[in-house]
Amino acid sequence: MGGCFSDVRGGKDAVGGDLPRPTEPNAKNDGAHNDAIELFYRAHGAYPLFTQLELSFSASKLLNLDVTSKSDPMVIVYLKKNDGKLEELGRTEVILNNLNPVWIQKVSVAYQFEMVQNLIFRVYDVDTQYHNVPVKTLNLKDQEFLGEGSCVLSEIVTKQNRSLTLTLKGKNGHGGLRNFGTLTVHAEETIASRSAVEIKFRCAHLDNKDLFSKSDPFLRISRTVETGGSIPICKTEVVDNNLNPTWKPLCLSMQQFGSKDNPLVIECFDFNSDGNHILIGKLQKSVADLEKLFKEKSGVNFFIPSSRAGHEKVLKGQLFVDQFCEKEQFSFVDYISSGFELNFMVAVDFTGSNGDPRKPESLHYIDPYGRLNSYQQAITEVGQVIQFYDADKSFPALGFGGRTANGTVSHCFNLNGNASESEVVGVEGIMAAYANALRNVALSGPTLFGQVVNRAAEIAARSLSSNNNKYYVLLIITDGILTDLQETKDALVRASNLPLSILIVGVGNADFKQMEILDADNGQRLESSTGRIATRDIVQFVPMRDVQSGQISVVQGLLEELPGQFLSYMRSMDIKPLTFNAAAQASRALEIL
Amino acid sequence: MAANSRTLEITVISAENLKLDRKPIKKNSSVTVRPDTNSQFCTTEMDTEGGAYPRWNEKLVLDLPAHSRSITVDVQCKTSYGVRTVGTATIPASDFVGGYVPEGYLHFLSYRLRDNRGERNGIINISVRMKVPEIYACSSSTTSSHSRMGFPVAENNNFGGGVAAGVPVWYGSYQKKHY
Repeated sequence: MGGCFSDVRGGKDAVGGDLPRPTEPNAKNDGAHNDAIELFYRAHGAYPLFTQLELSFSASKLLNLDVTSKSDPMVIVYLKKNDGKLEELGRTEVILNNLNPVWIQKVSVAYQFEMVQNLIFRVYDVDTQYHNVPVKTLNLKDQEFLGEGSCVLSEIVTKQNRSLTLTLKGKNGHGGLRNFGTLTVHAEETIASRSAVEIKFRCAHLDNKDLFSKSDPFLRISRTVETGGSIPICKTEVVDNNLNPTWKPLCLSMQQFGSKDNPLVIECFDFNSDGNHILIGKLQKSVADLEKLFKEKSGVNFFIPSSRAGHEKVLKGQLFVDQFCEKEQFSFVDYISSGFELNFMVAVDFTGSNGDPRKPESLHYIDPYGRLNSYQQAITEVGQVIQFYDADKSFPALGFGGRTANGTVSHCFNLNGNASESEVVGVEGIMAAYANALRNVALSGPTLFGQVVNRAAEIAARSLSSNNNKYYVLLIITDGILTDLQETKDALVRASNLPLSILIVGVGNADFKQMEILDADNGQRLESSTGRIATRDIVQFVPMRDVQSGQISVVQGLLEELPGQFLSYMRSMDIKPLTFNAAAQASRALEIL
Repeated sequence: MAANSRTLEITVISAENLKLDRKPIKKNSSVTVRPDTNSQFCTTEMDTEGGAYPRWNEKLVLDLPAHSRSITVDVQCKTSYGVRTVGTATIPASDFVGGYVPEGYLHFLSYRLRDNRGERNGIINISVRMKVPEIYACSSSTTSSHSRMGFPVAENNNFGGGVAAGVPVWYGSYQKKHY
């Protein structure tokens, strides 16, 4: 039984201020504000019925399950869906050796006004190594369960101070005789912003708090919130044995610090592996103040708060800002309104698993009374989204898995029956081409996505020769039972460094477990049979039955990961929106809509 | 640069989950890149901080001989017992040359590393750009940020015989920064 392992190196890691891998969407910007969805609704005269929130966590009196030290807790947030299944929304970081932790990492959740959102919070003691390991990939089976709490999201939001304290219980919901401690959840609305600052801090003449060596300092930065109190936003890594440390640069987005004038509390602690870090000193400065410190190359003294009011002891330890650099991070809408185009392509599943189209149970059944079948419904619903974002409304419409007129099974044929041109105009065009194909193509098999993905990749790659302001999206509408998962993975990996995203829409009632493997949300990157690994996650999967049961709207399902995938591509290739003037004009034009 | 060889700019970005003897490595890893013809090779600096998840962000420049079919990437670790190879990946040239993508495209690629027993041992993340021969670059000077990738369209953007939407714009106007 694990239980005495504490990853001290993991506890010394920086949290919240780090720069992500080039092809990863910036996690802080990613879930925080989905402006793609908001743009869609606003352009239709409606306001999105949700607000983006950030949840912060702290806990007290957690169980101690580590033998020679204390538990290393981490929180995982789940959404309980109508069918009882749990969907993971996010995780905090792991805190070393602490039974009363205050976590820095926030979890983003969209607060839907019209739905009851049941949230489950589980606290685990991490017993495996987590130094430099992405928290997403930690396997829960290797960790120890510390307690669970649940509530409805609106309970948190409707409290005056937006905080709710839950008593933690055991796995079955029974408290039993054990006291599991409490978990406090605090919700804040996130502000969309495109500014970020990169700051490099240094300190001099820090006090020595260690007995036989020097202090091991690290900084923790918190921002004050409206409801009083402060919330930590990041911490630096620990520099061992040094009273004049320089830390690696921190990258803070405006979402984290609020505004340039918002006072930030900067605390300098001496790291101790038993979790009791000693405060060396603190000070309060806003980002604007820090910029001034950088320009003037001056330092500011730390102080120790004293129990006597007004008598703070000023220390000789000082904080300096060695680098201060403002960066702009453009949002998805910035690119689109400056002239970047999304180009959609549709591929429809013509395999036998859909059922004989002449029978009413078939997913491809054309009802003489006009009732739309699953594919037609999916095409119409996703069509409203793609028509909005695709400027020329001209979509290549493909099919796969069917036996075409010449007798052979094709895994990439044009729905409109035209040998050379696959394009159709508008959603009506797709519907007409689909009906046409049903008359001329026999359902067959096997279910393979590889060729349509390759075709989409080819189209995206070719477009790069003439410009780089187009981004392609392939919509695969399928009943979900893939015959060759590896073939699909190979094609997806090959396409993963191109301006392309793949949205898989699942119709019918199949178990879409394979699709969930392709939509690598658990952090496991796809691997091809040749040893190449996907550069980025370009897949998103939306089961239509979630849409139909009202769990999510199709707009949200489709647009959830797309802006992040789009931005990860643009940022890694260092492509910016077209000249800012043009962007400003275009966005004014868009606001008139 | 020898005739018929191309210049490759390889930026070794980072690696993930590196182990030696089943344990995550502690520090001092570096990467060597060479074409399969074993002519020339380049090595990065050692990463001392990242442990099993090192970051180098270092650009290496290699000449890729014309008949070369792949490049090999080795991750090594300097231990107290000497330098040991943690894992190797072979990158086929077809992953960054040819296909429909224009020359000079910045390819972000990642590969599975395998140790000397053939077992999986981590992932290596790199970016590769084939340097476009000088003749075809628009600006001959130092920063090639305005050089044109690929060739002006003689073939139409034809996946439907349709009209190209929009006017092709120079790369230069996108303020493309160079690493």
